[in-house]
Amino acid sequence: MALAQTTQEGPLGIGAAPRSGELAQWVSRHGPILLLGLFMVLFPIIANDFFVRQIAGWTMILGMIALSLMFLAGYGGMVSLAQMTVAGVAGYMIAVLGVSSLPKVSLFWPWWVAAPLAIVIAVAFGTLAGALSARTEGIYTIMITLALAASFFYLTLQNWPIFNGFNGFTTIPAPYFLGVNWGGPVPLYYLILFFAALSYAVVSYVSRTPFGLALQGARDNPRRMEAIGYNVTAHRIAAYAFAALIAAVGGILLVWQNNQISPFSVGVDVVINLLIIAVVGGLGHPIGPFIGALIYVILRTFALDALVAVGLDGRRFQTLIGLGFLVIVLFSPDGVVGLWRRFSARVRGNGGRNGL
Amino acid sequence: MSTIAERIAAAGTGNAIELRAVSRFFGALAALTDVTLSVRPGERRAVLGSNGAGKTTLLNCVTGDFPPTSGTVRFFGEDVTTLPPHERIRRGLRRTYQVSLLFQRLSVRDNVYLACRGVSRGRFSFIRTRASDAIMQSVTDLISLVHLESVADRPVGELAHGQQRQLEIALALAGAPRFILFDEPAAGLSPNERADLVAILTALPTHIGYIIIEHDMDVALRVVESVTMMHNGRIFKEGAPREIEADPEVQELYLGGGHG
Amino acid sequence: MSTVFADDKAAYGGVRGDAPTRWIARHPLAALAIAVAVVFVLWLVLAPWPTGFEAVFGRKRLFISALFNGITLGGLYFLVATGFTLIFGLMRNVNLAHGSLYLFGGYMGYEATQWTGSWLLSYVVAFVCCAVVGIAMQFFIFRKMEGQDLRQTLVTLGLSIIFSDLMVWVWGGNAIQIDTPDWLSGPIPTPIVVALKSSGAPMFLYYPRVRLVIFAAAVVLGVGMWLALHRTRIGMMIRAGVDDRDMLSVLGFRVQLLFMAVFAFGAGLAGMAGIVGGTFQSLSLGEDSHFLLASLVVVIVGGMGSIPGAALGALIIGLSEQIGTVYFQNYSTVLSFLIMVIVLALRPQGLLGRR
Repeated sequence: MALAQTTQEGPLGIGAAPRSGELAQWVSRHGPILLLGLFMVLFPIIANDFFVRQIAGWTMILGMIALSLMFLAGYGGMVSLAQMTVAGVAGYMIAVLGVSSLPKVSLFWPWWVAAPLAIVIAVAFGTLAGALSARTEGIYTIMITLALAASFFYLTLQNWPIFNGFNGFTTIPAPYFLGVNWGGPVPLYYLILFFAALSYAVVSYVSRTPFGLALQGARDNPRRMEAIGYNVTAHRIAAYAFAALIAAVGGILLVWQNNQISPFSVGVDVVINLLIIAVVGGLGHPIGPFIGALIYVILRTFALDALVAVGLDGRRFQTLIGLGFLVIVLFSPDGVVGLWRRFSARVRGNGGRNGL
Repeated sequence: MSTIAERIAAAGTGNAIELRAVSRFFGALAALTDVTLSVRPGERRAVLGSNGAGKTTLLNCVTGDFPPTSGTVRFFGEDVTTLPPHERIRRGLRRTYQVSLLFQRLSVRDNVYLACRGVSRGRFSFIRTRASDAIMQSVTDLISLVHLESVADRPVGELAHGQQRQLEIALALAGAPRFILFDEPAAGLSPNERADLVAILTALPTHIGYIIIEHDMDVALRVVESVTMMHNGRIFKEGAPREIEADPEVQELYLGGGHG
Repeated sequence: MSTVFADDKAAYGGVRGDAPTRWIARHPLAALAIAVAVVFVLWLVLAPWPTGFEAVFGRKRLFISALFNGITLGGLYFLVATGFTLIFGLMRNVNLAHGSLYLFGGYMGYEATQWTGSWLLSYVVAFVCCAVVGIAMQFFIFRKMEGQDLRQTLVTLGLSIIFSDLMVWVWGGNAIQIDTPDWLSGPIPTPIVVALKSSGAPMFLYYPRVRLVIFAAAVVLGVGMWLALHRTRIGMMIRAGVDDRDMLSVLGFRVQLLFMAVFAFGAGLAGMAGIVGGTFQSLSLGEDSHFLLASLVVVIVGGMGSIPGAALGALIIGLSEQIGTVYFQNYSTVLSFLIMVIVLALRPQGLLGRR
C-alpha cells in the first residue's frame, strides 16, 4: 500500500525543508509529481482556453473536492458523501455574502470578507456532519452522509430567503485583485492550480504526521486506538474538519469557475459522481482523485459525441459511466492508481510501493 | 483480609486495580457477577479459569472496552468506572488482546509509534516527527525488545502470527505503563518465543504490576506471585501459585479438567 | 469491525426477556410522556375540536387527512425500507440500488396491469421480477465479495446508475400512474368526526378505500414478518445473523441460500411497494432516488437492521412529511431530515437499534 512508507521518512516529506545534501534524494523521490507540476505550470502555453478552463480547470476543482473525500475514506475509512455538500455550502455562502445578480439576497461584501467567512461556515458544516456520523462505524457513514447531502439539496431547493430556491444564484464574479481579473481563463487556471497543488501537498504531508497516522490507525482498528490512548471520535471529527477545509476551498473555486450555483450543483447525482471520481481514481493515494476527475471530465465532455460517432445512443452516457465504474470496482478496488501500481510492480518485479 | 500495611498503602496511593462488586450483563446473560478484586501496585497476578469464566470480560471492564453494568472500578485510587478507554490508558493502564488487534495496513514501526504517541502529547500534531525525536528512540527500543527489527518496515498484515503476538506486547509497553493487562500473551507462540515472553515479563521494572490471563501454566505460574481463580463469572479462589496448584477443588474444576 | 471475543459474544446474542416492561421500569418519565402523548393524539383524532383550537391549528379535516396520509405513506415507506434494513442487517450491504428495484417493480406492475388487467396479479409479477434481480445480484456479484461491505455498496451504486438509465430508456421520463381497480376506488366513511354541522350532527371523514386497504396489508405483512422472524427456523437464523455475524459461519454453505432468500424477499417487497407507490402517487424518473433516500432516513431513524425500527421510522417519516406539508409548506422534506439529524445526535444507533 501507499501507506507502507516508514516514519523515518518523516523529515524528508513535502513541506519539510530538506537539507542541501538531501535535496537530490528529495527531488528523485518526488520526481514524477514535480514533473507533473512543471507540466501543469506550462500547460496554458500549449493548450487553448477550452482545455485550460473546461478540462484542466474542472479536473483540478473536482479533484480537490474528491481529494477531501479520499482523505476521509482512504486514510480514515470514512466514506463521506457530504464533501460535495461542504463545497456547495461554501459556494452558496460566497454567493450569499458576496456579489451576485440578486441584490435582494446577496450582501455584496468584498471577496476578502466573503471567501474566508464562507470557508468558516462550510468547515463548521463539515465538522457537524462529521460529528453526526463519526460515532457510528464504517459503512453507516455512507448512509448518514448521503442523507445529509440530500437534506441540504432539498433545503436549497425549498428555501427562498437564503438559497433562492430552485433558481440559485447567477453571475457570481471571480475577484479582481493585484491588478488581475482572476475570472479570466488563465489567471483562474493558475489560482486553481495553486490551491490544487497546495491541497495535494498538504494531504501527502499530513498522511505521515501523528494526526494522519492516528487516522489510519483508527481506520484499521478503532478499538485498539482507544486502547493505546486515542480519542477516536475526536480524531475522526478533526479529520472531517480538515477535509472540509479542502472541500470548501474547492467549492469557492467551483463557483468562481462556473459563475453560478444552484441546488443542482449539490444534487444527489452530483454527490454520487464525486464518490465515483474518487473511487475510480483510487482511494489509496492523494493523486487518485485528480486522475478520477480527469477521466470523469473527459468522459463528460467528449463521451456524448464519441458514443454518437460510433453509432450508439448518446443519451446512454450514464450507463457508460455506471459500467465503467462497475468494472473498476469489480476488477481494481483501489482504482486506476491501483492498476498503475500493479502494472509497474509487474514491470519492475518489486512490491510497487513507489509507483507514484 | 488485608493487612494493616496494605490498608495504609490503599489509603495512600490506593491499590493499582480495585474492583468493587463489578457485574457485567450481556442481555440477560451474566458474564461477571459481583466480582471484587484488588491488586497492589507492582503486584503480578494470574487470572485463571476455563473458557467463558469471565476472564476477558474482567479485563474489558478494567480498560473500559465494555464498561461494567454495575459496580466500581478504581485505578490507583481514582474512580475510572465511567471513563472512556483512552482516558484510562493515558493514566498508565495498558493491555494486550487475546486475538491480535493491530493496525494491519501500517508498518510495525508505525504501530509502535502510534502506541508511543498515544500516551504522549501531540496526538493531533500536523507536523511530522523527526527521526531525531526522542520518541523515535523509544520506538526503536521497543521493536528490538520484542525482536522485530528485521520486519520493522513491513506492513503488519504480512507478519507471521507469532510476530504479531510479539507486537501486541510491544504496544502494551509503550510510554510509562503503571499496570498492564495481558490477555493470553503466549497463545500461538513457539517454545522459543515463550521463553522470550517470560524473559520480557520477568525483566519488567518492579513498579509495573500486571494481570495475566494464560492457559499455559508453565508461563503463567512462573511470572506471577498470586493467582485468582474464576468460574462462571465469579471469583472462587485467590492465593499463591503453590496453594492454587495444590487445591483439590481447583484441580477438579480446572487443572484436572484437561485444559491446557 | 472490531473482533468479537468469546466472552463478549453474548453482547449481541443475549436473551432479552420482556424488553418493554424493563424499558418502562428503567425510564418511567419517558414512558409517562409517551402515554400522555398517545392519549393527546387519540383526543385530537376522535373528539371534535373546540373552536379556539381550530383557530390556532386550522381545520380539523386538514389535520386528520394529513394524519391519515402520513400513516398510509408510512405504510408504503415501511414496505420499501424493510427490505433495505433486512439486507443491510444481515449482509452489511447498503443496497443503493434499492430505489431502482422499487421503480422497476412499479414499472413491471404497470406493464402487468396493462396486459392482464389484474391489479392483484401485478403484485405477483413485480415481486417475482424484483426477486429474480435480487437473487441474480447476490449470486453473481455479492457472493464473491463477502465481508467487503464498502465494495458491495459501491457495486450497488454502479448498478443503480445503470438501472436508472435503462429504465429511462424503456419507459421514458414521463410520470406513469397505475389505475386503482374499481373495487378499491372511491372513498369510504370512517368513524372519525371531523366537524360538527350547524345542526350539531357530526360530519364523518371519508377516506380513499385503496389507501386504507394497502395500509392494512402493510400492517398484516409487518406482523407476519415479525412472526416469521421470531417463530420460524429461518427467521431465527436471520435474526441470529443480524445480531452476531459470527453465527453465520456456523451455517456453512447454507449461509448463501439464506442471503439469497433475504435478498430476494427484500427486493420483491421493494418491487411490490413500487406498485403501491404507482397507485398512490406516480412512477417517474427520480422516484428511485426519492425512495432510496426515504429508506435511508427511515432506517437511520428507526434503527439499522431492525424490522420494528423500520416500522417506527416509516411511521415517523411518513407523518412528518405529510404534516409538514400542511403546517410548514416550504420545509416539508427538510423536516424529516431534521428529525434524522436529531435522532443521530441523541441516539446514533437509531430509535430501536442496538449498538
